[in-house]
Amino acid sequence: MSEQPLSDVKCTVRVASPLRSYTGGASTVDADGATLSDVLADLDRRFPGIRFRMIDEQDRIRRHIRLFVNTREANALSEPVAVSDTVHLICALSGG
Amino acid sequence: MSLSRAEQARYQRHLSLQEIGVAGQEKLKAAHVLVVGAGGLGSPATLYLAAAGVGTLGVVDCDRVEVSNLQRQILFDSASVSRPKAEAARARLAALNPEIHVVAHAVELRAANVREIVRAYDVVLDGTDRLTTRYLVNDACVLERKPLVAAAIHRFEGQAMTYVPGRGPCYRCLFADAIEGMVPNCAEAGVLGVLPGVMGAIQATEAIKLITGVGTPLIGRLLAYDALDMRTDEFSFQRRTDCAVCGDRPTITELRDAAPACMSAEEIRHLSPAGLRELLGNPARDSLLIVDVREPHEFAFGHLPGSLNIPVGQIEHRLQEIPSALARTGALTPVFLCRSGARSMAACAIAARGGIRSIAHLDGGLLAWQAECDETFEVA
Repeated sequence: MSEQPLSDVKCTVRVASPLRSYTGGASTVDADGATLSDVLADLDRRFPGIRFRMIDEQDRIRRHIRLFVNTREANALSEPVAVSDTVHLICALSGG
Repeated sequence: MSLSRAEQARYQRHLSLQEIGVAGQEKLKAAHVLVVGAGGLGSPATLYLAAAGVGTLGVVDCDRVEVSNLQRQILFDSASVSRPKAEAARARLAALNPEIHVVAHAVELRAANVREIVRAYDVVLDGTDRLTTRYLVNDACVLERKPLVAAAIHRFEGQAMTYVPGRGPCYRCLFADAIEGMVPNCAEAGVLGVLPGVMGAIQATEAIKLITGVGTPLIGRLLAYDALDMRTDEFSFQRRTDCAVCGDRPTITELRDAAPACMSAEEIRHLSPAGLRELLGNPARDSLLIVDVREPHEFAFGHLPGSLNIPVGQIEHRLQEIPSALARTGALTPVFLCRSGARSMAACAIAARGGIRSIAHLDGGLLAWQAECDETFEVA
């Protein structure tokens, strides 16, 4: 059995509540990508504008956003993502 | 601090718990806990802490009870509407447990008073609905070396984390900064009434654990709760050595009040509702393009004629639509507005940073417009 090419890896993405307006309300979506950068690019193709809510013009993760791969902190977009991984898009919330 | 017979009877179920017992209950009685915000989170948190016998409970809130609070703020009832929240909370909590001392702080937390207030307490719970206050409280707790249990909510999602000085990361290590407007609040986005009940109860639980020294607090762990999917997730995060307040070389060593927006007063023209009405009726003087930065569902509910709708979260991305619309309509001045004026101020700052000039702002938002200019105008 041939190994799945990295670029076709599908992972699960959990979408923070403030970003669900982009995913039609879906809390969980699939995405392709071998790195966080690829995953976010794939999300943006399907849900235009969602990446910009998380990543600024200098390709930095915005300061009110945190990305986790499974339970692991991801501080760089080069973070690898595997097929069984869940990427969590976490957004600071302000409600009380 | 020993327990009276009345207290022994009241806290019997705690005394039966090996983990709490008499010693733990006495620690609760001796404890001073501050709850910032008597809202959705503060309601269950204060009720449970009062019931649990926390000896001194401080409540900070400078707002008054509104009827729309009652869907989730279970500290209050219909008779509380229009009363100052801190006072109404004090009365309710004192009625629940006359054995404890409740302190009402009916003040707005500012750089000038937050450290002094926090200093008098052993544990702080943050249940505010303002981002600037959230960071102010975090920074004050770091500087005063006080444990903090922070929680926040949005629609059906909640988050909680605990900071203990010297033992783990603070709230800024998790979210270094946030701009008002990029993060929607409950008034804009809505919230399931029972959601803060869950998260506020978690905050009270953490406070009781910290005071009695039992269990494992949420230090360095973010607890995320999704009520729709009924799932919790937990994420580990580390103290950041470059954290502005608890890092190795902190830049926040004394507190300052956050500027309302990242632009100077000279750069923005503030319009009252009457001022806006006058200009709208006199396009020869200045032709306006109204940029309504509320969410689409709010916009659909009712908006001023000819408004361009760009939700505040999308302003940065869709900034070029503003000069295009100005050119198309021949207008000269974009006027940013929203429901109450907070999101539109953030939008003004983003637009100014993006090079848009001659910006105007409707102070008080469409609620002020409704109150002063058009009672029939409906605001979502």
